[in-house]
Amino acid sequence: MKKIFYIPAILLLLLSWSCNDDEFLDRPPTSILSEEQIWSDDSQVLSLLGNLYNRYYDLGTVKDWPSLGGFNEAFFSNAGSYGDFQNSGWNLDSWRTWDYTYIREINLFIQKCTAADKLSTASKDRFLAEARFLRASYYFELVKRMGGVPLVLEPLTYDFSGNPSYLQQPRAKESEIYDFIISEAEAIKDKLPANSTEKSRVTMAAALAMEARAALYAGSIAKYGVNTPQVSLAGGEVGIPATMAMGYYTKALTAAKEIISGKAGAYALYTKKPDLSENFASIFYDKANNSEVIFVDDFKLKSGKVHGFTISNQPRYGAEEEEGGRINPSLNFVEAFEKLDNTFAPIPTTDAAGKPLYYTNQVDIFAGRDARLAGTVMLPGTSFKGRAVDIWAGYQLANGTILSGDDRGAQKTLPGKTVPEQVVGFDGPIDGFEFTAQSGFYLRKYLDPVVGSGQRGVQSEVWFVRYRYAEVLLNAAEAAFELGQGADAAGYMNQVRTRAGLVTPLKASDITFDRIAHERRVELAFEGHYLYDMKRWRIAHLIMDGNTINAADLSKDLGKATKRNTQPWALWSYKIYDPTSANNGKWIYRPVKLSRVTGADRFQFGNYYTSIADDVINNNPKIVRNPNQ
Amino acid sequence: MKKVRRIDDLLFTLMRITVIQCFLACLFVGMSLAHDGRGQSALSQKVSLNAENQDIKKILRQLEKQTNVTFVFSSKLIQSERKATIKVQSSQLSTVLDQLLKPLQLDYKATDNLIVIKPDRSAEKVSEVIENKTDETINELVDRTISGTVKEENGNALPGVSIVLKGSQVGASSDTDGKFSLTVPNGEATLVLSFVGFLSTEIIVPNSQSQVDVTLKVDDKALEEVVVVGYGTQRKESLTGAIATVTSKDLERVHGGSTVSSGLAGKIPGVTFRMPDGRPGASANVQIRNMGNPLFVIDGIQQDAGQFNNISPNDIESITVLKDASAAIYGVRAANGVVVVTTKRGKTGTKNTVNLDAYYGVQNWSRFPNVVNDSYQWMAGKAEAEMNQFGKTSITQAELDKYKAGTEPGYQTFNWKDFIVKRNSPLSSVNLNMTGGSDKISYYISATRLSQNSVLGREFTFERSNIQSNVDANITDNLKIGVQINGRIEIRDQPGIPGGDDYWLPRFAILRNRPFERPYANDNPLYLNDIKHNETNWAYNNKKLGGYQTDIWRVLQSNMNAEYKIPGVKGLVARGMYSYYIADQVMNGHEYTYQAYTYNPSDDTYKVTGGSTNPWRERRTRKIIRNVYQGQLNYNNTFGKNTFGATFVAERQEERDQEQWAHSVPSNNVLPLMYFATMDTYDDKDNQLARIGYIGRVNYNYANRYYVELSARRDASWKFAPDRRVGYFPSASAGWRVTEEQFIKNLIGDHSILDDLKIRGSYGILGDDDIGIGPYDYLPGYNYNQGNAILSGNAVVTSRDKGQIINNISWFKSKITDVGADFSLLGTKLTGTVDYFYRLRTGLRGRKYDILVPSELGYSLPDENVNSDSQQGWEGALTYNGKAGSINYSVGGNVSFTRSKFISSYKPIFNNSWDQYRNSSEGRFSSIFWGFECIGQFQSQQQINEYAVNIDGQGNRTLLPGDLIYKDVNGDAKIDDLDQRPIGYTTSGQPNVNFGLNFAVSWKGISFNADFSGGAMYSWNQSWEQRWAYQNDGALNSIFLDRWHRADPFDLNSEWIPGKYPALRYNDGGHSNYNKNSTFWLHNVKYIRARTIELGYSLPKSVLEKLKMQRARVYINGYNLFSIDNLKKFGVDPEIAEENGLQYPQNKFVNVGISLSI
Repeated sequence: MKKIFYIPAILLLLLSWSCNDDEFLDRPPTSILSEEQIWSDDSQVLSLLGNLYNRYYDLGTVKDWPSLGGFNEAFFSNAGSYGDFQNSGWNLDSWRTWDYTYIREINLFIQKCTAADKLSTASKDRFLAEARFLRASYYFELVKRMGGVPLVLEPLTYDFSGNPSYLQQPRAKESEIYDFIISEAEAIKDKLPANSTEKSRVTMAAALAMEARAALYAGSIAKYGVNTPQVSLAGGEVGIPATMAMGYYTKALTAAKEIISGKAGAYALYTKKPDLSENFASIFYDKANNSEVIFVDDFKLKSGKVHGFTISNQPRYGAEEEEGGRINPSLNFVEAFEKLDNTFAPIPTTDAAGKPLYYTNQVDIFAGRDARLAGTVMLPGTSFKGRAVDIWAGYQLANGTILSGDDRGAQKTLPGKTVPEQVVGFDGPIDGFEFTAQSGFYLRKYLDPVVGSGQRGVQSEVWFVRYRYAEVLLNAAEAAFELGQGADAAGYMNQVRTRAGLVTPLKASDITFDRIAHERRVELAFEGHYLYDMKRWRIAHLIMDGNTINAADLSKDLGKATKRNTQPWALWSYKIYDPTSANNGKWIYRPVKLSRVTGADRFQFGNYYTSIADDVINNNPKIVRNPNQ
Repeated sequence: MKKVRRIDDLLFTLMRITVIQCFLACLFVGMSLAHDGRGQSALSQKVSLNAENQDIKKILRQLEKQTNVTFVFSSKLIQSERKATIKVQSSQLSTVLDQLLKPLQLDYKATDNLIVIKPDRSAEKVSEVIENKTDETINELVDRTISGTVKEENGNALPGVSIVLKGSQVGASSDTDGKFSLTVPNGEATLVLSFVGFLSTEIIVPNSQSQVDVTLKVDDKALEEVVVVGYGTQRKESLTGAIATVTSKDLERVHGGSTVSSGLAGKIPGVTFRMPDGRPGASANVQIRNMGNPLFVIDGIQQDAGQFNNISPNDIESITVLKDASAAIYGVRAANGVVVVTTKRGKTGTKNTVNLDAYYGVQNWSRFPNVVNDSYQWMAGKAEAEMNQFGKTSITQAELDKYKAGTEPGYQTFNWKDFIVKRNSPLSSVNLNMTGGSDKISYYISATRLSQNSVLGREFTFERSNIQSNVDANITDNLKIGVQINGRIEIRDQPGIPGGDDYWLPRFAILRNRPFERPYANDNPLYLNDIKHNETNWAYNNKKLGGYQTDIWRVLQSNMNAEYKIPGVKGLVARGMYSYYIADQVMNGHEYTYQAYTYNPSDDTYKVTGGSTNPWRERRTRKIIRNVYQGQLNYNNTFGKNTFGATFVAERQEERDQEQWAHSVPSNNVLPLMYFATMDTYDDKDNQLARIGYIGRVNYNYANRYYVELSARRDASWKFAPDRRVGYFPSASAGWRVTEEQFIKNLIGDHSILDDLKIRGSYGILGDDDIGIGPYDYLPGYNYNQGNAILSGNAVVTSRDKGQIINNISWFKSKITDVGADFSLLGTKLTGTVDYFYRLRTGLRGRKYDILVPSELGYSLPDENVNSDSQQGWEGALTYNGKAGSINYSVGGNVSFTRSKFISSYKPIFNNSWDQYRNSSEGRFSSIFWGFECIGQFQSQQQINEYAVNIDGQGNRTLLPGDLIYKDVNGDAKIDDLDQRPIGYTTSGQPNVNFGLNFAVSWKGISFNADFSGGAMYSWNQSWEQRWAYQNDGALNSIFLDRWHRADPFDLNSEWIPGKYPALRYNDGGHSNYNKNSTFWLHNVKYIRARTIELGYSLPKSVLEKLKMQRARVYINGYNLFSIDNLKKFGVDPEIAEENGLQYPQNKFVNVGISLSI
């Protein structure tokens, strides 16, 4: 019966097989680093910090084109976005953010970096200062959108005791968050390089620029909050006492001056190019020795970090892909640009008698305006990437009727002719036809003039500017103005205006709130400032009051900060076809209200501070709701 | 410390490397030992004799009776007068033979149980020859030939029958006339005749007889008798689980797609089917009782759905579906049921047969939305829409008149659908296989070539070449080895055009391109027309202008197994199996730059005004390598009425999946290679998995009446934290064959219509490691490669804190209960089965809600195994086989119902009663579709003006007669999200009700089959292109011709004429008609569709004989020919899932084919 031994032999084999199960099941991960691996090497720490940089919050960013064009400064020539112009405003949860995971990860970074003993002191100091900047920046973002929030500065841990109440922290006062941002900036500025060539990592100037902006915001909320008493909470979570205004303005001015003095590095307005409009546009794409830019979200070709802003927004005609032209700046916005004599005037489409004005060149109608107009907006009759932008709505015939088409570059037969020819621009405008310049304009800011930047497989490396010197000057101007230093304010503003071709200086007496507001609107357009400016000045509900805009309203109150801006208007150009007339081949313009614009925006008091999510309140009963919600 | 560990590590590594090899090697060593050992064992048997001067032949026969040996000798060697005297008591056979034969100068050689007696002098030579088992040697030794004929009961000759001399390997098989001839040793011979489908028969041929005629009886249940269950097979009547099988006979009628799953519609009760996408090479969604994605096991090896779908249907012998706890034996991933596929094998002792199966078919889309192919109607509709929306339009009657005339350039009409869709697209398949077997070796070797085109021109193709080679060999009586090799090359080839799915733009184009747009500038085919959205210009969607995308999978699976009957213990078998799988993917894509032109009639020039300057070149390479090791011990024995079985299995699986994807921006459209200088992306992945299972099963059967089966499995998965890896999954089942019970027999009597009734039940706990966590969620640390940051101008690969580790999660448990019955009635004419099942899953991943931690904590408490859900339903199948004269017919059907329900989460919290009503899933059916109830359409402007409920959120100012009225459920006089209620079922998942119907009629050589299948209780949500007109500024969907409109569209005061759909708006998806899911747009689908309808003719035997063929059949076959359902009026396929209706639909097929066997 020796065969019977096979059975135990085989069983033995099977059992021996099982003794190394654990080893068989252990499969090493291919993309996970341990604590030790991270905290022993500068480049791994930078890898971790890089992720925190990448998660910086911007309300507007080139990574998300609609985020830059809201509030009727532009129409969206994109079928999926028409709804934005057919509703009556914004939900109470708009612009919400509550990313304490981000805060926790920064807090963990700070905790672990502080404890790391294998890094040099110099590296640690800089890493820590950068992390604190990112944390302060996000608290700034939180306070702008949500008001005061719980100020969590340590990584919290739940102990599974069943009672999490020790983790419940109430909202800090709005002013306390601003104070924190300001004090952090002061605490870290000297640990950061004063190096104007470093744009994507935090520098001393970036910390100061954040401080100046935060202090200015806090100051204006304190000062103008009195106009909207209903937008405040008794505990100070929303609203800052008016008495604190001057203190904040002073801090804003001091911080701005520290940059202007050159202490934080050699910053200056960008003035490389003789063509002032081209010069203005170049600020946003010229990365070589750009003296103006302070802090950016940087992109790089062939790195995996690129963006499609140019694909989405460049002129549709001649685009590398079958899309583009989504952000169409509105006529309302275009008319905000001054004439070179510092006066405001509508775009002249008719003479005083209401008769149309005829222009030989399409772009002539915009002549004599602030150079920033053509630097920000792609005007009809200009060109991009060496290709003429083909924006025209049709022919006006001798009898006044319009001959147009409903397709880009559509062909029709003109009266008296036998073969069809083009009767509408390849860039439109065609009402309701997406990607054409429905407002009559395209956006120029951030468009990448490099060939290939509109290709999906290539995209663009144009950086997104978060802080730049011109804003620092305007912040200084506003703070100085509010502190009663009109001359200083004028001085700062004139620097910015001169660069835009507005060479007649404003005097101290010219500086008004409206002037300050206007200057920021045109200089910083589409850079993510407009909403926060309207909010902190408490004028958003006046600008967007829910009433429609008619043709007559358009040209009224130009230059006034509270001018109604509830609907985007368009400006369409037509070519005259009347061989018998001297005007044949000339251009006329008409303001147009697009058929897709049917709503009028109303900014509710409850929009000043975003509602706090129900689950946040459920999870922490100490959190109070925002006003008017 | 370290040193010690090193030695340990080394040992473990050594063990890991060698254990499998050792195990297999042992089996082989055992085999070679056995070779001698077997003969030895025969000779060492104890015998007793008391023979006085007896015929030696008689003595040998006595010995044969006492042992299991057979003597082979020539009568020349042992003349009949040779006598001997021998007296032994319990001596070894060898001793007896030595005593008996030595004096006669004879020697003997034992091979297995065969002992050949031969002259002493040539001992060496003969023994070698015998070992080689050639017939000639046997011939030399024997002197008698038996010949005969084998017939069926109806008198037809039966070819291919295996005839074996009992106890030897001497055998033959019958020829086409059923004739055979066999040389056997002198003396009485026992022949064993066997043939698939017939009862095996033994006959004793006396020495005097040399001619026999045998009639084999048909084995009624032969074909379905043996069912593949986990790690083995069982006789059907002994099954205790819910197990259903579909065989090659059912599968080979389906010529309606290129993958295996697409042929399963309505075939198996409890298997749910939905095929929303029907492109070449597409697969259907198949689930078992809607429990989720099943596990696929092919020839004993766990595989993925891709491998299942792409084995050649011709090579499949059977597909068995384990629906209940009987799947538990497959452990780790069996919680959703198991689909077990067995490929065809050769059979020992069968004639070599060559089979050819080929068919050619044409395909057309079952249904696809139609558009209004008329520029005038398009433009008039737009004018109407603008009047409806804005009260004005820039479109003039004069313009419309030009479109109506349709003569001027720009005003003509072009039919894009006809341009894009090329009808009667071909499909073909050719399979050639050879099968047969000697008495020791059997084989099945097959090659299949399938080629499917698409109705989108002829450049969108799918091609697949399969080989299957299954060889089994009986090395000795105790040792069997087998090799199954399955290989395929799968090629998906199409033009490379923008978008992830190259099949999308051509379909989208049909709804996107407007009728006045034309593909070529000035209709000159040399110039692609700039239609401003050129990606949907079909004239560009080809390999010449667009580019190419070619995706090739090359897959090889090899299974090697050895099975060894352990001597000395009856019924004990050891098995070892090793499987190696390698899949290799190479995908190359190149999208070219191209130019689109505008023709300028005034100077007869073509100007480039559009196109793309964006070249896109990509390549994906992927390699998946899997190893499966299995060691198995089986025991099966019968003691009187008791039959015991036991199985023990140890199994390991590992997989490594490596993938690279690179992208470049080439500088030209010509050269295919990629260069570093133009490359901008390189993604690299390398993942592994590993699982280990130990499985034990015992079954017991008493008198084929009571059956009990118990099994348990211990599984470990790499996915969980080391201390949470192991799960234990037991199951039990029992069956009672009521009709085997004597008192029942007495009760129902001999002439009862009830032939057989078995009641069975099972309960098992199954596990699943697919709980929604990643393999390393238990490890702390940092995830690397979380996007790049550009810092100081350099790209930095970033890392991110992994966050809270999940180390408290383990297997969730899936508890399946099944109660069922199998029965046959009316003399087995009517057979059927019914099942009820309930699956409760507990320990699903979820959150404990009673502790609320502040959101400011920055992390959520980790999920735990706390949630539970259920899946319950029933299914049944019934088949009737009848005969009327020479007409045979059968009618069969099956139906199943299954529904899933969420049971509970851990102390859920709701903010308010609405939140609870809307968002709770506690105790509710899963996959509920929420929407508004449409209670009608406005009939007049006056009704709108007087209507108290604010429907559109804008005081009803956007409403027109014909617009939808929603029910104000909460009575707050406005329609908002609070007015939603459940209105339907899943739109993307499987139907909750599935059924199939099969009819078959045959008369002489003619056969007719019709198979139907259907489903119900699922939904299609009509949206996008199917919901509002002019979506994307595109074409006008034909369904909107039936709409509310004014008698004179230009006159706002003219009367309204009712229609089905609301009045036109131009691309206004935001309107209250369209921006809400409602009962107007949601359709709860019910369908029954013809699957296979086939008419075939088999040549009669008389003709076949002349042609020297075994079988010849021709057929014409239709698949998906028609469907009866409630989506026809929307122009979409009933199984569609995509809301826009633009999914690539299933095809209708018409095929002609032949099957030949030589």
